[in-house]
Amino acid sequence: MTRLVTLLGYALLAVAAVGAEVAARRRGSGTCGDALTLALRSRLARFILLGAWLWLGWHLFVRVDWG
Amino acid sequence: MQHDDRDGENAGDLDREAPVCDRTRDGGRAARLLATVLLAAYAWWAVGLAPFSGRATAAVVLGGAAAMAVGARERQRRRSPRAGDTAGIATWAALAAIAGAWQLAAYLQHPRADHPTLSSLANEVLDSHVARALAFIVWIAAARGLARR
Repeated sequence: MTRLVTLLGYALLAVAAVGAEVAARRRGSGTCGDALTLALRSRLARFILLGAWLWLGWHLFVRVDWG
Repeated sequence: MQHDDRDGENAGDLDREAPVCDRTRDGGRAARLLATVLLAAYAWWAVGLAPFSGRATAAVVLGGAAAMAVGARERQRRRSPRAGDTAGIATWAALAAIAGAWQLAAYLQHPRADHPTLSSLANEVLDSHVARALAFIVWIAAARGLARR
C-alpha cells in the first residue's frame, strides 16, 4: 500500500460521508446529526464519545511537539 | 370600528416594543461577538503552551469542559426516532467502521511517510500556529454541539 493508495482511501471515505449526508438531507432523516442523537441516547455511547473527544483534544493540542 | 381601534392600539404597542427587540437582538449579537473574540484569544494562547506540560493539559481540558457545560445548558429536547434514522445510523456506523479499519491498516504499516495515519496527516496540516488555533476552535465547537444532543 503506497501513500497515494492510503490517501485515496481517506478521500473516498470523505466523499462517501458527504454523499451519505446529502442523501439523508434529501430523505429528511438519517443525517450524521440524527445518527449521533440516536447513538447518544445510550449512556455508554456518551461515555465513549466523551473519552474519544477528550483524547483527540489531548492528542492534537498537548501531545505534539511543534518545535 | 372598535376592532379597528384595538388594532391601532396594538400597532402602537408593537411600535413601542420594536426598539426593545432591536436592543435585545443587538445585545445578543454583541455577546456572541465578544464570546467569539474571547474564544479565539483563548485558542491562540492554549495552542502556544509547551507540549506535554500540565498547563497545556489544563488549558485543553478546562476549555473543553467549559464548552461542554455551555452545550449542556442549551440541550435540545430529544425527538423520537423517525423511520429513516435506523438506516441512517447503520450507514454512519458502517462508514465509521471502514474508516477505523483503514486507519488501523495504515497505522500497522511502515514507513509512516508511505502509510500516513489521520494523526500524521493532521500533524502536517496543523504545522502553523494559526491552523492549530482554528482546529482548537473547531474542537471546542464540536464539544458544544455534542453536549447539546
